[in-house]
Amino acid sequence: MADAHQKHHDYHIIDPSPWPFLGSVGAFVMALGGVGYMRYLSGGSFKLFGLELAHPWLFFIGLALVLYTMFGWWSDTVKEANEGHHTRVVSLHLRYGMIMFIASEVMFFVAWFWAFFDASIYAGEAIQVSRVEFTGGHWPPKGIEVLDPWHLPLYNTVILLLSGTTVTWAHHALLHGDRKGLVRGLLLTVLLGVLFSFVQGYEYVHAPFDFKNSIYGATFFMATGFHGFHVLVGTIFLLVCLLRALKGDFTPKQHFGFEAAAWYWHFVDVVWLFLFFSIYIWGGWGAPLSHG
Amino acid sequence: MAGPSAHDHHAPAAHGSDDHHAHVPGFFARWFFSTNHKDIGTLYLIFAIIAGIIGGVLSIAMRMELQEPGIQIFHGLASMVYGFQGDAAIDGGKHMYNVFTTAHALIMIFFMVMPALIGGFANWMIPIMIGAPDMAFPRMNNISFWLIVPAFLLLLLSMFVEGPAGAYGTGGGWTIYPPLSTTGQPGPAMDLAILSLHVAGASSILGAINFITTILNMRAPGMTLHKMPLFAWAVLITAFLLLLSLPVLAGGITMLLTDRNFGTTFFAPEGGGDPVLFQHLFWFFGHPEVYILILPGFGIISHIVSTFSRKPVFGYLGMAYAMVAIGAVGFIVWAHHMYTVGLSLEAQRYFVFATMVIAVPTGVKIFSWIATMWGGSLTFRTPMVWAVGFIFLFTVGGVTGVQLANAGLDRSLHDTYYVVAHFHYVLSLGAVFAIFAAWYYWFPKMFGYMYAEWIGKLHFWVMFIGVNMVFFPQHFLGLAGMPRRYIDYPDAFAGWNYVSSIGSYISGVGVLIFLFGVFEAFARKRVAADNPWGEGATTLEWQLSSPPPYHQWEQLPKIK
Amino acid sequence: DQPKPWQMGLQEAASPVMADIRWFEQYTLWFIVPITLFVLLLLVVVVVKFRAGANPVPSKTSHNTAIEVVWTVGPVIVLLFLAVPSFKLLNKELVLPEKPDVTVKATATQWLWSYEYQMENPVSFDSYMLKEEDRAAAGKTDMARYPRLLAADNELVLPVGKSVRMLVTAAPTDVIHAFALPAFGVKIDAVPGRLNETWFVAEKEGLYYGQCSELCGKDHSFMPIAIRVVSEDKYKTWLAAAGSDLAKANKDLMAATDGPATVNVAQNTAQ
Ligand code: HEA
Ligand code: HEA
Ligand code: CUA
Ligand SMILES: [Cu+2]
Repeated sequence: MADAHQKHHDYHIIDPSPWPFLGSVGAFVMALGGVGYMRYLSGGSFKLFGLELAHPWLFFIGLALVLYTMFGWWSDTVKEANEGHHTRVVSLHLRYGMIMFIASEVMFFVAWFWAFFDASIYAGEAIQVSRVEFTGGHWPPKGIEVLDPWHLPLYNTVILLLSGTTVTWAHHALLHGDRKGLVRGLLLTVLLGVLFSFVQGYEYVHAPFDFKNSIYGATFFMATGFHGFHVLVGTIFLLVCLLRALKGDFTPKQHFGFEAAAWYWHFVDVVWLFLFFSIYIWGGWGAPLSHG
Repeated sequence: MAGPSAHDHHAPAAHGSDDHHAHVPGFFARWFFSTNHKDIGTLYLIFAIIAGIIGGVLSIAMRMELQEPGIQIFHGLASMVYGFQGDAAIDGGKHMYNVFTTAHALIMIFFMVMPALIGGFANWMIPIMIGAPDMAFPRMNNISFWLIVPAFLLLLLSMFVEGPAGAYGTGGGWTIYPPLSTTGQPGPAMDLAILSLHVAGASSILGAINFITTILNMRAPGMTLHKMPLFAWAVLITAFLLLLSLPVLAGGITMLLTDRNFGTTFFAPEGGGDPVLFQHLFWFFGHPEVYILILPGFGIISHIVSTFSRKPVFGYLGMAYAMVAIGAVGFIVWAHHMYTVGLSLEAQRYFVFATMVIAVPTGVKIFSWIATMWGGSLTFRTPMVWAVGFIFLFTVGGVTGVQLANAGLDRSLHDTYYVVAHFHYVLSLGAVFAIFAAWYYWFPKMFGYMYAEWIGKLHFWVMFIGVNMVFFPQHFLGLAGMPRRYIDYPDAFAGWNYVSSIGSYISGVGVLIFLFGVFEAFARKRVAADNPWGEGATTLEWQLSSPPPYHQWEQLPKIK
Repeated sequence: DQPKPWQMGLQEAASPVMADIRWFEQYTLWFIVPITLFVLLLLVVVVVKFRAGANPVPSKTSHNTAIEVVWTVGPVIVLLFLAVPSFKLLNKELVLPEKPDVTVKATATQWLWSYEYQMENPVSFDSYMLKEEDRAAAGKTDMARYPRLLAADNELVLPVGKSVRMLVTAAPTDVIHAFALPAFGVKIDAVPGRLNETWFVAEKEGLYYGQCSELCGKDHSFMPIAIRVVSEDKYKTWLAAAGSDLAKANKDLMAATDGPATVNVAQNTAQ
């Protein structure tokens, strides 16, 4: 037995794990259930080999499985980190992985910005007869009352920018071994995140335009909506870090979980700035304002 | 066949230690909960073979339909599968043909070529070739595989679910342009297909992250980027293309989903949307995607050519940076698929120009392969035969691509069989030939047995004749004006279509020979040497046992 | 024009643009065929000369800057040779004549074409694929002139030698189709909500056929485009009559053009 099969490297050879398989079962059920749910919402039917699946429940079963997988998987990851498997090189992997993931997220938002700029810049393109008829040849389309960017959206911009500084504060505190500062910074960031979501929710409810039947509503709600979803995810990520910090995880030297959350948060922040400037300010220029 | 049981006979011998056997997990944990890149690679390969067979069967059904003018088999198939009668069977059959075309393309691309080249061969060989014990994220590696399975299931299931009113499945072509994919097919089948693409996309993005991290971080001490095997370069670039292009597709098909189910109007002109926007989003992904399909093949061909020429690759750096150039330029040429949508003159000019540029780095690759052979001492084992076939046939497909790049000429050829001929030459005769080359090249390494040379050669020649017979005449059909995605065509096109269909049956026989070869090799169990190819094979995998130990490189190799 | 059995090249040109497209296609072949044969030749040479049997000791050469420059610059030059006439052709296709003689709007719907002549009192009608059972009644039993899947019940009638501007779109809530007429070198998508345009001059009288060229659902194969190009006189007569009684106008026009004399003309054009 001796040293023959001992590894002489710092890579992490992981034991077999049930999570990927379980997660994929969850994804399958969730996708199938998602179609069923959407059919259910629109009152349609979804027959698969004679089985009527137009119900919401399958989707939630799948979702539960996926969430359970995420919880189990990342618990394992945290456990492995605490057991010291995250050597320098493994942490480096995680860093690369996170950067790459964020890069792919950026490209995901490119699609939504593409849709927005296509509609706004070419709102009056002559050969697009139907569009010109709909928009009146300008952006925002005729009849659209937009949100005043200098009200709630501006507050939200400030809230997010502030949260960017609080998370940096938490990071610095962590680096200097100031656990209290870490917890406070994180707590504040989470609260700001929640506040942002509430303001965004309020704005949605009081928006003077519709999600349906208008390219203005479609681009606005899908772009800001996906951003909002990312805020939610980021907030949960930070909340997990907060709980871990309270539990005593993270050291000044090793705290990649925290850093990943912070990177993600900054990414969400930057996307917001783009949304704010292009959709709220530039995209609403000259249109009648609504004050909700 | 390449079933899991085959592995269990193999205690990793010589290298490493015999105790390793004790570390191999039990059957279920090993194949369902795997964190081992070689096992996951094997799973991917099995998956790709199954998908290839299904995709091939669909294509042969299409060719049977097109063998003669008139509707031949699809009304019958529709009544067999869906129970339609009379006129309903004809209408159902017409739609079913489109469903087959769509499924054929999606299966071949997402569930055959990508899993074979990236999930299969790259997973197996990249860690070994760069001297790493496994991938950077072994557990995530497994979810990349396991996500592709539900994605495939969703696509297959969609064929049995309502698409347009009164018919089943999604028949929008693999490009799923709205409004045909929104209001044109309101049934849930299209939603399933869209989610299938979402899931397959997630799988690929995770895989891409894994490969990039592995290749950038886990190279053996001393292996700089400029000493890295070309296959690793190819996969690195492919992974970047995946990472940056797939999310845009994900966004686009999410818009389809919301247009279909939640009343948004991204692609609905009556609500200020634009159907052409989807085409931009699709091809911004779609064009890089075609290089995703071919770059890993480029990498593989380089190794095979060098091995069997007993000569190092000619112009290594040029080869690596040519791929970088192809990948980069590949992102700015997408609208050459859209010359007829009504783009402005300036836009078309730009896309003509940018597209043609890609011929230059690709030419560098072709000529460097030939230069690698030049002065070499060539042996024509099966992998080399496939590789030489690849070089020639890919060139044929590439130069017709350059014709299509010219918008002025594409006006006549767009959406005709000329395009079908072009992309099958680069895919079915390009990417697939690279897959078979890789299969024979690494088969002894992966499974420890030698394939039978005569079967490999027979497989090659039958396939070579078959696919050329399918696709060469399609150039003529396209020039003469036969549109693609047609279930029935004017009688004047009958001649070449007949030839093409016969060719597809020959290709089908080719696939059977391939399967027989796999069976034969596992049945005969001719034990393969660690390096069956001799001194030309210089990459690290040939220094390991065949098959390699369950965990290789526990002592990292040092590169001078 | 229409495709012929075992045809291997582009259809005959019936418009100046198509003549140029045909020329350009031949021109590109002069580059790509030699390139492909050159690659094949090199492969054959390599296979023969450098077989292990013929050349047991491999060289170690892996660099040669000069040759690498050659095979980079060579293709660049070839591409420049392609690009210049390519851009010229593109211009010709996309720059419309300032004052077209006739403007017709074609609207695609699943699965038919509707044509509307743009004039004071627009003449408009629908054009469906000719059904086999309607052949006799329509007087279109000649399969060579009215081929299966290509012939339509009502052709679009246009004058010879005149510039025609086509406005192409699809019905507002329909799907994408494409208006294609190979002999005129024309293909343009019919996109709901968009009004695309293209142009051509038909240089010879006769019947010309094209097919829908964008997947549009189950009957994508069954919505042909049929154009009857006639002399200007006949066109004017037809147009004047078509507004009130299309069926009769078509019958009269067919009687005037499908006679024995004109079959010859048509055959000439069908070379
Ligand atoms: C592996 C996949 C693959 C690859 C590698 C390519 C490679 C290329 N493709 Fe192709 N293509 C597809 C897959 C691929 N394509 C698919 C699937 C479609 C259809 C999608 C659909 O609509 O469903 C398509 C469609 C397609 C179109 C749209 C046609 C239409 O719909 O009207 C165009 C137009 O520009 C095009 C161009 C090219 C070009 C210029 C290359 C170049 O990269 C080729 C470069 C290679 C060479 C040129 C040969 C080697 C070079 C030399 C020997 C040097 C000297 C040569 C010259 C100077 C010319 N392709
Ligand atoms: C990789 C891609 C790929 C491959 C391999 C093929 C292979 C084949 N294709 Fe297809 N095809 C497409 C991609 C591909 N095709 C695409 C993108 C379209 C466009 C769809 C659309 O319009 O939307 C299309 C459309 C298309 C059409 C046009 C349909 C139409 O427009 O109406 C036709 C018609 O003849 C056709 C035929 C065939 C045939 C006879 C084969 C034969 O070559 C098949 C023989 C089988 C094989 C070559 C596969 C063998 C592989 C394995 C068994 C796996 C091996 C794996 C390992 C070793 C790990 N295909
Ligand atoms: Cu109309 Cu295809
Ligand atoms: Cu392309």
